[in-house]
Amino acid sequence: MEGIADFLDSIIGGIDLISYSLAIGGLIWGLFILRPWENTHKQDPARDILSVRTVRLIYQGAFSLALVQLTKIFLKIWLMDSILGRWPFPEFAETTQFIGGIIRLLLALTLAGYVYYVLRQHVNSRKHWVNTACIAVLMIISGAWLVHAAGRFDDRLLLMSLTTMHQVAAAAWIGGVFQLVSIWQLTSQKQISDNYWPDSLKRFSRVGMVTVAGILMSGVPMAWGYITTWNGFIGTGYGNILLVKILLLAIALGFAWLNRSAVLQYFSSANKQNVFSRVPYYIEAETFVLITLLFTAASLASQPPAIDIPELTATWGEVLHSFAPRIPRTTSPSHAALLAGEAGRLAIIGQTPSAAATAWSDYNHNIAGIFVTVMSLFAMLSYRKSLTWTRYWPIGFIGLGVFILLRADAETWPNGTMGFWESMLKNGEIFQHRIATLLVFLLGGMELRARMTSDPDSKLPYVFPILCAFGGLMLLTHSHVGFQAKSYFLIQIGHTFMGLFALIMAIGRWLELKLDSPGKNIAGFISVFAFFQIGLILIFYQEPLY
Amino acid sequence: MRFRKCQMQRLLCGLVLFSCCYSGMLSAHAVVTDYSLKIQPVSAGKASQVKLNFNSSIELGLSQVSLVRTGDVEEVLPVTAGEEPGVAIIDMPALDAGVYALHYKIFAADGHITEDIIHFTVQP
Repeated sequence: MEGIADFLDSIIGGIDLISYSLAIGGLIWGLFILRPWENTHKQDPARDILSVRTVRLIYQGAFSLALVQLTKIFLKIWLMDSILGRWPFPEFAETTQFIGGIIRLLLALTLAGYVYYVLRQHVNSRKHWVNTACIAVLMIISGAWLVHAAGRFDDRLLLMSLTTMHQVAAAAWIGGVFQLVSIWQLTSQKQISDNYWPDSLKRFSRVGMVTVAGILMSGVPMAWGYITTWNGFIGTGYGNILLVKILLLAIALGFAWLNRSAVLQYFSSANKQNVFSRVPYYIEAETFVLITLLFTAASLASQPPAIDIPELTATWGEVLHSFAPRIPRTTSPSHAALLAGEAGRLAIIGQTPSAAATAWSDYNHNIAGIFVTVMSLFAMLSYRKSLTWTRYWPIGFIGLGVFILLRADAETWPNGTMGFWESMLKNGEIFQHRIATLLVFLLGGMELRARMTSDPDSKLPYVFPILCAFGGLMLLTHSHVGFQAKSYFLIQIGHTFMGLFALIMAIGRWLELKLDSPGKNIAGFISVFAFFQIGLILIFYQEPLY
Repeated sequence: MRFRKCQMQRLLCGLVLFSCCYSGMLSAHAVVTDYSLKIQPVSAGKASQVKLNFNSSIELGLSQVSLVRTGDVEEVLPVTAGEEPGVAIIDMPALDAGVYALHYKIFAADGHITEDIIHFTVQP
């Protein structure tokens, strides 16, 4: 069960940050953008609706945060019991993690309870908003003992403070975007007047710039403190995930810039087109990016900082070599040859690298790359009206799914000795591969049906980008963990960039379905191009010998 | 309007899906930055101590260090805290000449559990 416990332990960090953003970001929205107490004399019912919705998101986030914190403690107990093979109490009760976790849980519960039972009844009272903020500040401070920096020896307090600032700034931005999604929902349902939508965008635009400045001002010194060299940035898992975070931030800022431009245009020329028919979808796409960013941030917290592992850092040359073009491997070693090398490869004493294992993996990735590249080329051709048959390109996913199921984990069913279910329960990596396989089948089946349907109002086309984004998220956080950090990093880096392209593919396709021309065409091209890039990475993939 | 509402619901479903399907890596934060075996090899036939320096504070009560012998046979060793924070002292039994490893599972103060291996040789 260790694999499942580890899997759940790692997902909980991202859910924690989402809940935190809902609660803290919602509170910042209420205090600095909505300011409901200014509505006391105006008696505007729409503003009351907005206030009630904001308060609802805050207590939902806070209750969720309390539940997540409790789950984290239980998962940690489960994980320690699995790894150490014994009940971790009473020792665990004396750790900072347990004591800090319980305090944070109680404060999150207090925050949720106060907002639900008190603020909800006095939504226009400034005093009650300030009281809520005071409880939230205590909860935010309590979280500082649960972050990466808490265990460090140098600049501990400084790094804890910077991490907390970083979390609050990110929560303000992401929580604000959640609020915008909610306001658009109210606008599109005609519960509030159309005017509130551009007005909310304009108000958030200013706060958003402050939060981005806060993210950078706290993030840059932390990155410097944990990495210190360019090689550490390029050649370690920590640096690699940070690079992905920066790229995701750049994409999210790109959408923020499009939103701001549309809002400025609206207020200067009263042009409603962009604000009402494009910005909502940019915000949906931005939400996809920001959610991924939160999970990536949680994943970063589980990596050793680059400054601590100089001897395990890959060089620029080794990283570039991972992506170097070459003839793809189209022949596989036999299953017997693979198994013959496994005992030596997995041994602790007398560990022997297995050329067959490396070739097996290269073959798997390279053949999958051929599947993906061919599908992406057909997807490109499908835009030509004379080649309508190419729109069935998603059928390639079915073939790819069968290939992955048969080849991904040689030690398990159908080739190996481990059973189908047994392998998933024992090994988190195999569990992830099985989810990926299921995803590939779903991608193919749903998208094929979507392209064959004649119903113009069908919702099926939207499933594909959601599943792609989900696949991207898996790849961005997928890791082949083991005792040879450098080799595993060189494996991880290719998966990380494929994850990034999968996310780009997802948001490109989402916007292609939502936008009008010319944005629709640009987004569609970007989506297919990203798909093609995934194919190229897979085709040239080569694993280090380990 | 109904269509737009459905779109929002779909987006929220997507967010839930994202949340449910995240996969991550084995938590790995406390890493060994130095160890005494580098400069003070273990001699055959004599009990000894090995010092491991970690990059962060560790919870020894929730940590485990095993000696790995030929054939990957593991034996849990007693571990005590060093004088400085982040230091673990391992009591090694008398060993015959040969190849061994230390397999450690360490609970760091930030809540992450690290598992790694240090190989070493006992000279005759």
